[in-house]
Amino acid sequence: MISSKKIGLSILGGLLFAAFPLFAGIQQDAEACIRGTLGEEIELTFKKLPLDKTKRVQIEKNTRQKFFRNDVYVWKIEADGAVTGYAILDNVLGKAQPITFLVVFDPMGVVVSSCIVKYRESHGGQVKSARWQKQFVGKSSASGFKVGRDVDGISGATISANSVSRGISKLCALFPYVKKSL
Amino acid sequence: MKIKMMLAVVSGAMLCMGANAAEEDEFFNSDTTIGGYGELHYNMVDPESGDSDETLDFHRFVLFLSHGFTESWSFQAELELEHNLVESGDAVTDEDGTVTDVDGKGELELEQAYLDYHASSELGFQVGVILPSVGLLNENHEPPLFLSVERPNYSKYIVPTTWFGNGAALYGDCEGWGYRLVVMEGLDGSAFGAKGIRDGRQKGYKSDASELLYNASINYTGLPGLKAGTSVSYNNAEVDEAAGTKNAMTLTEFHVKLDKDRVHGVFEVGNVDFAKPELSDGVESSFGYYVDLGYDIDEMLPFDARITPFVRWEDINTASSTTAGGDSEKSEHKSTWMVGVAVLPTEQIIFKVDYSVETTELKGGISDYETTRINLGAGYMF
Repeated sequence: MISSKKIGLSILGGLLFAAFPLFAGIQQDAEACIRGTLGEEIELTFKKLPLDKTKRVQIEKNTRQKFFRNDVYVWKIEADGAVTGYAILDNVLGKAQPITFLVVFDPMGVVVSSCIVKYRESHGGQVKSARWQKQFVGKSSASGFKVGRDVDGISGATISANSVSRGISKLCALFPYVKKSL
Repeated sequence: MKIKMMLAVVSGAMLCMGANAAEEDEFFNSDTTIGGYGELHYNMVDPESGDSDETLDFHRFVLFLSHGFTESWSFQAELELEHNLVESGDAVTDEDGTVTDVDGKGELELEQAYLDYHASSELGFQVGVILPSVGLLNENHEPPLFLSVERPNYSKYIVPTTWFGNGAALYGDCEGWGYRLVVMEGLDGSAFGAKGIRDGRQKGYKSDASELLYNASINYTGLPGLKAGTSVSYNNAEVDEAAGTKNAMTLTEFHVKLDKDRVHGVFEVGNVDFAKPELSDGVESSFGYYVDLGYDIDEMLPFDARITPFVRWEDINTASSTTAGGDSEKSEHKSTWMVGVAVLPTEQIIFKVDYSVETTELKGGISDYETTRINLGAGYMF
């Protein structure tokens, strides 16, 4: 007969195991996301790209969201010697904490995938959902990103959903600058 | 029992904190942010008998303050000024020495102020002034998130939104299934009655902790645009400490919200049971529900704003079952039809207008007493 105390301890142990997965660095986490989308047989060239002030102001104005960092992490993705895509890692702001997200583009600047690499607060974590992120596949700087119209919202995650959607539109606008720099 | 529950929540949290989480990376900066929301209302009330009344009310001005200490630790607060002014009334001292404030105006409320430890997506911990997870609007009630000018009556009298108090919570989400377990201050059972449980909220003011409230909820948000969930709240509410009388209250509710393909649908239903109706003016239970259905029509119009006409049907009765039965179950039974339009020039700004007819089953000896309302509102969140 298993005592209720043992059951309680097992539940607590399970919760703690779930709470503390082994973390790698943010760059490694982002690269795992890229490989998760495009497979292991790719080569990644990493660069920390400072944001040009003029370009930054112009994009911020057009997408109605500021950049929260002075640089972004970018990758050139190659397979069999040919460039197959690019990826950009950046932050947007949730209700209290930054949300670190990654967007993978094809060579023409069309979104291939997006994912939340790190979410740090209680509310709005539903933006991590792969189903929700899938809505951005195929979008580019010419697409609409309005939550509720072009992108389905998430009840209880309004601030995060708006923030991430604008963030992805911002990286779409940044894409030509990133491509030129790599 | 309650001490063990509290200890379990706190010890779980302490173990979380003791474990060594990931080192912070350069994508995190400790920062303080502010946000907020507010709403101005025009309300016209035209009762079946008597004069109509018109008011302009800056109903809520709310400031959010958040600070991220580390990647896992943050602080979040919500300070609310209601009705634009706080003014004390005349203090009255009862025979037993209780001092009450008569005719005070407005309210200043600290509706949230908690430390949050976000260990992972699956497990987090909060302690401070928190909100129990009950219904759609108790935790998320910014004006652009609901279609009517005023919050639904259901979200006032069945779920006493905004319901806040001192306590602690465990929360997490796994593959779109979110859970939250709350232990917080209980309700004042002496205030239970024909108007339900709303007046029993202690609002964190030197709250009596002799009987705690337990709230458990689960929500599914795995499909874009959908939120569906349920919650149970239990409190063996103290009625009279000296006499040792208590009245256990159980609130169960279900809610679903869909915002997809220009359709906006909401359904909430809830029931409150009282174990000892003799201590709640004979009221055995409160019951209510409402349905909203709206559709964005801006695609058909030359406007950039989201324009959403909607209809609502609401039926609530805070004394749906009483020991006396008969007319005592009719006076708080209100059914409401509402039509309205919500206009959002951006996701964070909303203008609303609605027209409603509320029918009270029995009021002042009149059956099916009708009250007509026209409301206008302007709201924002950021």
